[in-house]
Amino acid sequence: MTTLRQQLASPLQLAALATAGLILLPLGYVTILALSADPAVWSRLWATRIPELLFNTITLAGAVAALTVILGVSTAWLVTRFDFPGRRLWEAALILPLAMPTYVLAYVYTYLLGFGGPAERLWQLWAGPQARILSPHSFWGTTLVMALDTFPFVYLLTRSALLSLNVSFEEVSRVCGVSRLMTLWRVTLPLMRPSIAAGVALVILYVVSDFGAVSLLRYQTLTYAVFQQMTGRSDNTAASILSVLLVVLALLFLVTERWFRQRSRFYQTAGRYRPPQRVRCSWLGTASITALMSLIVAVSFGIPAYLLVTWSLSPEAQAILDSRFYGFIWNSALLAAAAATAGVIVGLPLAYLASRRPTALTIGCLQAAYAGYVLPGPVAALAVLVLCLKIAPVLYGTALLLVIAYVIHFLPAGLQSLEPALQQISPNLEEAARTLGLGVRETWRRVTLPLIRNGFVVAWVLMFLQTMKELPATLLLRPVGFDTLAIRVWLEASEEYFQLAAPAALLIVLLSLPALFLLVSKDWRAA
Amino acid sequence: MTIYLDQLCPLAAQIHRRLMPGLLTLLLVLGSILAPLASSFAADKLVVYSGRAERLIKPVFDAFTAKTGIQVDLLSSGTTELVNRLKAEGDRTPADLLLTNDAGSLELARGAGLLRPLNMREIERAIPPQFRAADNSWVGISGRFWIIVYNTTMVKPDQLSSLLDLAQPQWKDKIAIPNSGSEYLQAGVSVIRASHGDERTKKFLEGLRDNAGSQVYQKSSQIVDAVAKGQVALGIVNHYYVYRHLATQPTAPLAVLMPDQKDGAMGAIMNVTGIGITKSSTHVENAKLLIEFLIAQAGQKMFADLDKEYPLHPEVKANPALVDRKSFRAALVPLTRLAELREPTLTLIEQVGLR
Repeated sequence: MTTLRQQLASPLQLAALATAGLILLPLGYVTILALSADPAVWSRLWATRIPELLFNTITLAGAVAALTVILGVSTAWLVTRFDFPGRRLWEAALILPLAMPTYVLAYVYTYLLGFGGPAERLWQLWAGPQARILSPHSFWGTTLVMALDTFPFVYLLTRSALLSLNVSFEEVSRVCGVSRLMTLWRVTLPLMRPSIAAGVALVILYVVSDFGAVSLLRYQTLTYAVFQQMTGRSDNTAASILSVLLVVLALLFLVTERWFRQRSRFYQTAGRYRPPQRVRCSWLGTASITALMSLIVAVSFGIPAYLLVTWSLSPEAQAILDSRFYGFIWNSALLAAAAATAGVIVGLPLAYLASRRPTALTIGCLQAAYAGYVLPGPVAALAVLVLCLKIAPVLYGTALLLVIAYVIHFLPAGLQSLEPALQQISPNLEEAARTLGLGVRETWRRVTLPLIRNGFVVAWVLMFLQTMKELPATLLLRPVGFDTLAIRVWLEASEEYFQLAAPAALLIVLLSLPALFLLVSKDWRAA
Repeated sequence: MTIYLDQLCPLAAQIHRRLMPGLLTLLLVLGSILAPLASSFAADKLVVYSGRAERLIKPVFDAFTAKTGIQVDLLSSGTTELVNRLKAEGDRTPADLLLTNDAGSLELARGAGLLRPLNMREIERAIPPQFRAADNSWVGISGRFWIIVYNTTMVKPDQLSSLLDLAQPQWKDKIAIPNSGSEYLQAGVSVIRASHGDERTKKFLEGLRDNAGSQVYQKSSQIVDAVAKGQVALGIVNHYYVYRHLATQPTAPLAVLMPDQKDGAMGAIMNVTGIGITKSSTHVENAKLLIEFLIAQAGQKMFADLDKEYPLHPEVKANPALVDRKSFRAALVPLTRLAELREPTLTLIEQVGLR
């Protein structure tokens, strides 16, 4: 008798292979296009743009990483090791910046820090009328915006690590006469290193592949350059060369991070876990911690959100809230729903096979699907575009192309919830159903699907919301006249029509909040 | 392969049973996405690919719709992006017309066989030949000049007279320029190359790059804004952005310097906004109506008033706020040459490493 697994495996296998192909083919084609390019194009790019772009990208990623470590680790430390009134509130508020897409934060900061903007006027009150502050359109301005937007990654992971850390290591250190500060430095921080590294890895990947903020802040990175090449030139050779460089850079970085992480693994082999005790703060401590927390939350979420609300309520913004605007909402929702549905359908065979039949082939397919991780939006768009022009130009300018790009781009996000959902069901359950006389199909319908439903829903919602915020691929591939909320924000913001961009931006932020809640709730409970 | 062949039938059944509901949903969703596109093929509707900022062109089209009842669907995007898109879409393009802010791009589109030659008496009567393609497959509808805008509190107009002066070291960190992807920068550089040669142009671009530093903008309105606020002293933009800014903020310390007017200088760099009907348009009659509307005196007047551009119809007067068209001269490089000049210009721009 063939088992359920065997019966399902081969067709699913084909589906999984097809998905891997769907993702790898465009990528492969871009690589071929880049490698077969005229060497003159390569040497010209090396002589002109590439050194600057590489330098800009790497230094930005480095500076943002450093700043996010400072912000993320210190805040995580404060909320896990100290007790002060309102702690739980701050604990949750610190993740809010993740609900703000980088292009929204960047556009708010072009106003806040801009020439003659409120921050500068405030500074001039104190430092004299000629004083200038940091321009948002500079290296440090971009660093600040990106760091404020991404530090919650480091915060979240460090916080979970701190909460699950066995406090006895620290106690041993204290008993041996090491001071509090040195214990932090020599015991706690090294123990947290893997988590901090994982958080920083997320931040760096985010920075390297970001388009929204760097385009609005006019900071030249590889990702931005790919976009500019695609829109400014009539052939895509230079864009593919830069794309390949970008993917190589991201991969190099991922490999290094894995390698470091493998070298520093910590296990607790014996002993009992005890949660750390929180130090109760004096009123002075409470006041200074609260001030610090308020400052961080205000600049990363509070003030921008407040500005978005006031701008949305301004008469200029109210005037654009017509049927056209509702059309943009509808377009966003349609695209996002299509991409999320397609993503779940495509991701299911992959995740199912990888958990039920972990052969080299199925694992390989799954790994291929995660390639979207290192593919910034413009590159995913370019990959889909050049392949489409080659084999099916009929699809150019249709929403289908855009949906394919989304699936490639966001499948990893979906798989991350699909995979554990499937792994958590023991195959025994399905087998039991079969021995009790249920058919293959009935087993799926009555046992497997209900069990993975939650993972399914979460994957769908995550992909829906990610797609809704997506900017560069949408800009490059959208059908005629098919503007989405994200596009409107970017178009208005890039001409500094702050009020006109606000309603769409506010809506995106509000809709992102539930996704954030979903993402975080797992880690939150686990910790 | 043989492994899978005998499994194809069960596969089909599997797909049918398990994936069909999902696929149907997907199709439904996709269908509703594509539905609005299909409706663009309806009779009284024109699809225009527009390389101009939406707010600069939409009111004119609205007036056209009000007059004729013909709807106009706008896809606003970058000019080069749109030409690329037209090329890729070929015969299947939904676009009836291509409108861009650069004659070079239109001429390139004509060369690629994307536009339809027109034989219309109205065009020949209204628009002088130097502002349209030889076969009328594109027609200029308004003219603009690439000028220097300066902050009157920071610069005296006698401090410079030519675009090339902006490369002098004295303007370090004092100028703002458009990014190298903008078609009118490319067109401007092409004209300078044609007038001064590659060596001189390269020196100019290097100076411009060093002087501008990070003040490289995506949008001309931002350049004017930066000059008005005093963030920089000078900028290079199309003239109408200055007047549009002054129309909303009359007290802004802005002025226009018409460059290269001295004896023997090359003259101001001109470009046009132009429009052409796509080769595969199925609404040619309506599209012709739109072109007629745009080049007729009333339409030209709208451009002049709304956009502060120079009308191309010889009998329509420019907005009185603008520098009198008769008081300065334009560079002698024909607009149609912008197409052939484009590629070497891009190479030069890339060599210099403009952003």
